[in-house]
Amino acid sequence: MHDLDELLTHCIRCGFCLEDCPTFVETGNELESPRGRIYLVRSALEGKLNWQDDVKPHMDLCLGCRACETACPSAVEYGAIFEMARDIIEREKPSMSKRALLASTTNPGILKAQLAASKFLPGGRVPNFVSKLLSGSKAEADLPTVQANKPLPTFETEVSVRGEVFMLTGCAMQVLYPRVHECTRRLLRRIGYVIRDVPQGCCGALHAHNGDLTTARKLGTELVRAFTGDIPIIVNSAGCGSTMKEYADLIGPECADVAGRTFDLSEFLLSHGLVDELAKAPGLGGVTVTYHDACHLSHGQKVTSPPRELIQAIPNSTFVELPESMMCCGSAGVYNVLQPEMARRLLDRKVGHIKETDAEIVATGNPGCHAWIAQGCREQRSARVMHTAELLEAAFVGLDGFVM
Amino acid sequence: MDFSTLEAILRPDQILSGAAASRGYDCDAYTVDRSKPSVIVLPETTLEVAAVVRWCAASQVPFTSRGAGTGLSGGAMPALGGVVISTKRMNHILEIDLENRCMLAQTGIANRRLTDAVKADGFHFAPDPSSQSVSTLGGNIGENAGGPHTLKYGVTVQHILGVTMVDPLGEILTIGGKLGCGPGYDFLGLICGSEGTLGVVTEAWVKLTPLPKAVTTALVAFPTIRSATETVAGIIATGTIPAALEMMDRGIMNAVALAFKLTFPSEAQALLLVECDGDDADVVAKEMESVRTVCESNGCLEIRIASDEKERANLWMVRKKGIGAMGRIAPSIVTHDGVIPRSKLPEMLDFVYEVAEAHKIGVANIFHAGDGNLHPCFYFDDRDPLQVERVIEAGEIIIKKCIELGGSVSGEHGIGVEKMDLMPLMFSPADLEAQAMCKRIFNDGMLCNPCKVLPNQRGCAEHKMRWRGVAT
Repeated sequence: MHDLDELLTHCIRCGFCLEDCPTFVETGNELESPRGRIYLVRSALEGKLNWQDDVKPHMDLCLGCRACETACPSAVEYGAIFEMARDIIEREKPSMSKRALLASTTNPGILKAQLAASKFLPGGRVPNFVSKLLSGSKAEADLPTVQANKPLPTFETEVSVRGEVFMLTGCAMQVLYPRVHECTRRLLRRIGYVIRDVPQGCCGALHAHNGDLTTARKLGTELVRAFTGDIPIIVNSAGCGSTMKEYADLIGPECADVAGRTFDLSEFLLSHGLVDELAKAPGLGGVTVTYHDACHLSHGQKVTSPPRELIQAIPNSTFVELPESMMCCGSAGVYNVLQPEMARRLLDRKVGHIKETDAEIVATGNPGCHAWIAQGCREQRSARVMHTAELLEAAFVGLDGFVM
Repeated sequence: MDFSTLEAILRPDQILSGAAASRGYDCDAYTVDRSKPSVIVLPETTLEVAAVVRWCAASQVPFTSRGAGTGLSGGAMPALGGVVISTKRMNHILEIDLENRCMLAQTGIANRRLTDAVKADGFHFAPDPSSQSVSTLGGNIGENAGGPHTLKYGVTVQHILGVTMVDPLGEILTIGGKLGCGPGYDFLGLICGSEGTLGVVTEAWVKLTPLPKAVTTALVAFPTIRSATETVAGIIATGTIPAALEMMDRGIMNAVALAFKLTFPSEAQALLLVECDGDDADVVAKEMESVRTVCESNGCLEIRIASDEKERANLWMVRKKGIGAMGRIAPSIVTHDGVIPRSKLPEMLDFVYEVAEAHKIGVANIFHAGDGNLHPCFYFDDRDPLQVERVIEAGEIIIKKCIELGGSVSGEHGIGVEKMDLMPLMFSPADLEAQAMCKRIFNDGMLCNPCKVLPNQRGCAEHKMRWRGVAT
């Protein structure tokens, strides 16, 4: 497990992270940069600053996107520093409203009940009194709604079964985007893999990112137990995959094997031959597609090439790069509920770039980004957002089943 | 001091204060000396900067300008406290004139973004300090920054056509412009490299340089430091001026090997990065061929030549991120910046290793071999005051040796607070007085970035002890 003091010593203040940090680029404020935050955490550990008054506001505004890790030549593990600092702050003075938000978002039963209730709320948005309680300002994020879908055409493949995998069903994804799981299952079958369904819970990623390492460890330990056996674990949610690949650091050496057999769906599909299958697919009828890198996929897991290679292999489609594709959209787990103003600025920046590309579809690999960018695109009448799995499956069965 | 009247000039979100802010802005990338500001302001326009400076002048509060805070000599450290004027919200390009090959930008913009804006049109902003992905145009002007391509393209001053500047009384001055400086004295030359002591540069016209049509880059490994340094002299002797000629030693190789999973021949003790460019591909190929001959005759172990842009970027990563990667090896670094005549490189490097060993500190070397600009990078733990002292002492010995060999105390990192006391080694009292007179043309007081560059300034000596080391 990590030692915070040791992690901090790796920053030599070169500042190479600054221009990759969304909150620094937006504010120009050193304290909203990775270098500044590391310095504040180090100062608080040395007793020179106060955790709550001096450090907390700046750790709160941090997205935890880990773009700084990609930029850092010294391999400072900022993500771990961020989680440990938030954990210290939360333990010193727990925030009950944040706990409640986390618990409800990561419990499929409660989330479903909320979704049902949200139909009766004006504008489908978090009521302002709740938002004020959580963030001190007006809500920006629409309450999540379950994806609307028509049934997909009957599945057919001539590929024979060659192996079994686990799939993380997770918490929010199975409620909000059941279609993504359906597509994941179909795509895996197209390359000869079937999913071994097992009872399972939440991976603990949102807890880890938000200062509750104890719960994260507990959930992670239970999940690893559910995935016993030496078969690959497929994850289609970037934030979850990132945390699971780092279980050994979070939980302990008993999870050492998890990183080696956990794959983002795009990694697994690419390395097991989906490109050959795509070559036989009808494709997408000439649409233009762009791709947004979910932070925990690109910065957390360093997976940037597989989704692009797969998307570019779709017949009858054009791929265009999204400017600043690796900059956070502001969703960042529950960030858009806790920090609505900054989240909104980053969403507007993201949608502005999407419009520049003239793409009709934006693909991405994380439910948080999916919902948030879809809201932005809806508001500004821009592209439709699809999970990479949905886009790839649409290459085989057409876009008709995927309602915008 | 009542800073609340600043609220009449700026919006609340443009003013930072409190314990965290004072801490966050108490140093740049030079961490040996630190000093806390009372307030940090984030103006967005030249007019706002002028208003803040007039406020400082009227209130007799010192002020220090700051870009990205990547400086390596403490230039952005607010030595006497007061106000830090950050340019980081002044990051817009105001005009691009491709026909006349120039561009007007606010000075808080990162160097790299200037090139990004015109790359597709076949141009770039040539000064390329290793920090160029983050360091600002204003900081580059302040330090007269160089970079690996200095050897062929020159330093920042050669690429600045004009500036808009707020002087220490808050007056807005325009020096030069789209067409460069007119006849008369070259004030632009004085401003570039003045380390923020003559005012706050808020906008600048920069020259755009066409991208070379052909570029070839090689990374060459040598069995000894000496064989590499002798190759440098050999390459220059052929008459070829490479676009860049950079050297890195084993210490840097170890750091980048950890950082980027790169491998080098195990017996390699030095690397040379050589780049040739030009508009005629045949000429460039011939230049690289003659470089290869010199490397081979000096017994090189391996030559890697980049075959495409991606490989080229990978080879450059070793150089550009070499210093940054030192955090893999130790918690703190101090990077020195001495200059010596090229012919003295072998002797000087032997000396650097001896000094480091005698002071029991680690050293890695990464530097612009082509123009004799050394960057010995000491690595240590700044939480230990004894180590800090040894690092400072070793640095001074090395800089003294540079001067002894006919060189300079600084090539491109500036004097800041770091090397102020070394200035008399290089300049006579009369020289320094002449420099002080130049400074007084613009800055006749103690408010604008005080206690920098020139030694023995009134009112600085007693503050100095407070800056040093781990104390705050």
